[in-house]
Amino acid sequence: MDERMSREAQSSDKDRYPCLTDEGRAMLRFLREHPHAPIFRNESGNRLTKEDLDRVRAFEREVEAAGIGWRAGRKPEWLSAFVETCFAEIPHYRWYGSPPKAFQDIPTIDRSHLSRDIARFVPDTVAVERMMLFQTSGTTGHPLIIPSHPLVAASYLPFHKKALRRFGIQPAHGRGKVGVVLLGYQRKCFTYVSVTPAMDESGLAKINLHPDDWRDPDDRARYLDDLAPEVITGDPISFQVLASLPLSHKPRAAVSTAMTLLPGMRERLEARFCCPVLDLYSMNEAGPIAVADPDAGGHVLLQHRLYVEILDESGRALPPGERGEVTLTGGFNFCLPLLRYRTGDYASLSFFGGEPVLVGLEGRPPVLFKTMSGEIINNLEVTHALQRFALARFTLHQNRDGGLLLRIDGPASRGDAIRHALLGLFGPGQPLEIREHEPFTGKVVQYTSAMDGSAP
Amino acid sequence: MIEENRGEHSEEQGPTLELLTRRLAETPEVFLDEPRIGSSGRVHVAAVVQDLLASLGSPAHPGRLAPFAGSDAGRDRNRLSITLILCWLLADSWFQKERIRENEALELLGEGAADLAKQVASRKFVTDPERREELARLSLSRLGYRPEGETEEQSRDRLMALSSTERARVVRASREAEERSRSIREALRRKAARESADKWTRE
Repeated sequence: MDERMSREAQSSDKDRYPCLTDEGRAMLRFLREHPHAPIFRNESGNRLTKEDLDRVRAFEREVEAAGIGWRAGRKPEWLSAFVETCFAEIPHYRWYGSPPKAFQDIPTIDRSHLSRDIARFVPDTVAVERMMLFQTSGTTGHPLIIPSHPLVAASYLPFHKKALRRFGIQPAHGRGKVGVVLLGYQRKCFTYVSVTPAMDESGLAKINLHPDDWRDPDDRARYLDDLAPEVITGDPISFQVLASLPLSHKPRAAVSTAMTLLPGMRERLEARFCCPVLDLYSMNEAGPIAVADPDAGGHVLLQHRLYVEILDESGRALPPGERGEVTLTGGFNFCLPLLRYRTGDYASLSFFGGEPVLVGLEGRPPVLFKTMSGEIINNLEVTHALQRFALARFTLHQNRDGGLLLRIDGPASRGDAIRHALLGLFGPGQPLEIREHEPFTGKVVQYTSAMDGSAP
Repeated sequence: MIEENRGEHSEEQGPTLELLTRRLAETPEVFLDEPRIGSSGRVHVAAVVQDLLASLGSPAHPGRLAPFAGSDAGRDRNRLSITLILCWLLADSWFQKERIRENEALELLGEGAADLAKQVASRKFVTDPERREELARLSLSRLGYRPEGETEEQSRDRLMALSSTERARVVRASREAEERSRSIREALRRKAARESADKWTRE
């Protein structure tokens, strides 16, 4: 390790929290040294200078004031200038030549382009000194490095607040309070404590509910009850574990990300914690994109500088109501402006009171299953059949002979009912094996099939 | 930039330079439209090339048109856009009367466009006066001509000056881009071992 690497690896609290006050320091101590605290295995920080903080606050005001600004058949006003800038300042897009007159003539990109050489997607104007990165495993098994910046990380919060406001919640925590706890449930998990300067240094803790990270597993509920976070974020699996703990604290909201949250699970969590549970569609490449709102019939877009298209296989933009691949342009990560980025997620677009809504969002490519009589079953129908069950995570695979294998991460408390629901969809003669307590690691592909014609 | 005629043959007198630069400046939108690559774009470049060659009196064997189909929109778009602009240029009545040879035309439209595409965005050959002049001179030189009113030496010197200035710019820009990519990759690699910055949710 050279001297520079060594120096950077040993960054201090001053690097992590440039504006830390005595109260913030006390909050960090409270989170770290609490008698029931878990083993914190890592360090992180907001890394925000005073100037950064001013910019974050200005950005928050901008997010609050802005509407999405585009509707069916119309493109956002900022789009053409954004395209010009991308073609002028970003090596990969510059390589295309001159910007085309029509937006839909711009070639699309996907994860494979980013993973090949991410440096070609960073604008010439971004200084590398303060650049940082997020790593993502994705569904392809190829880890992806996403260039980012402390300002970008801090800019997630205004979109979270916007999502929460939709459900009548205005985060109000401040100095001396814990704003958010991020949950994980993994054998190995990145855990740390921090403070959020945009919320007057309220506390932030990222914890792993896996018993190996605690001196006593019973400490999990004690610690969370003492922290009393206003908001808890996590994924369906960690929330499922949380729901099983004797926690008496009731957060004002829970926010689920990273994988599909089925309505049955959502209802169960809402009943358990007596608060709204938000299903946030978010990815490292673009941050928080949309939040599920049952009244709107899908996931309502959150970012005012993000244009979303729905494309078919050949890259043709589909009209509202037609299902295709969610494709992004814009975003707030100025280290990685996206131009027609195919996410690998599928939905159709509709408009609810003028707001764009992703309907039937599936974070996985669609798979066509077949009944024994040859009838096609869309994987969305499987989701619908299983949505009333509180399953944290599951996969369904169809073998070449048509047999189905349902793997469930955790117990299937209503195994017979789940079998009944699936056979109701596929027909009583369908071979079906259900395996419970299947350990999943990383992101999983929810629906797969070995049968011919399984791709639409 | 791409190789000009190296003086193996003496260059014949061609049209005035202004005739060609003006023609480039007035390139119709249809020649600036998106080349068809896979299922995207509108203009079938191979068909346009064949039309041009037919009008010059020597249509190409279909197999020689394969490079004008393209297969990757990101990689082939700029090259084929330049081919289209060259097609418009060579469709000028002066070239039609001269009946330029198929081989030379194909080389300019194919390899010539490919070399240029690595360095200049296609529209600059229409909008930028220096790039217009360069493309006009280069086309004449590759086809064995020099602009009317110039000696071979004057013609070569001017093309070299234009090309070498641009070549120097491109080499410099390319070096800078590579250096920047390297520093970004290195910065990200260094920081891979480090902690990150806070977000309220994880993906």
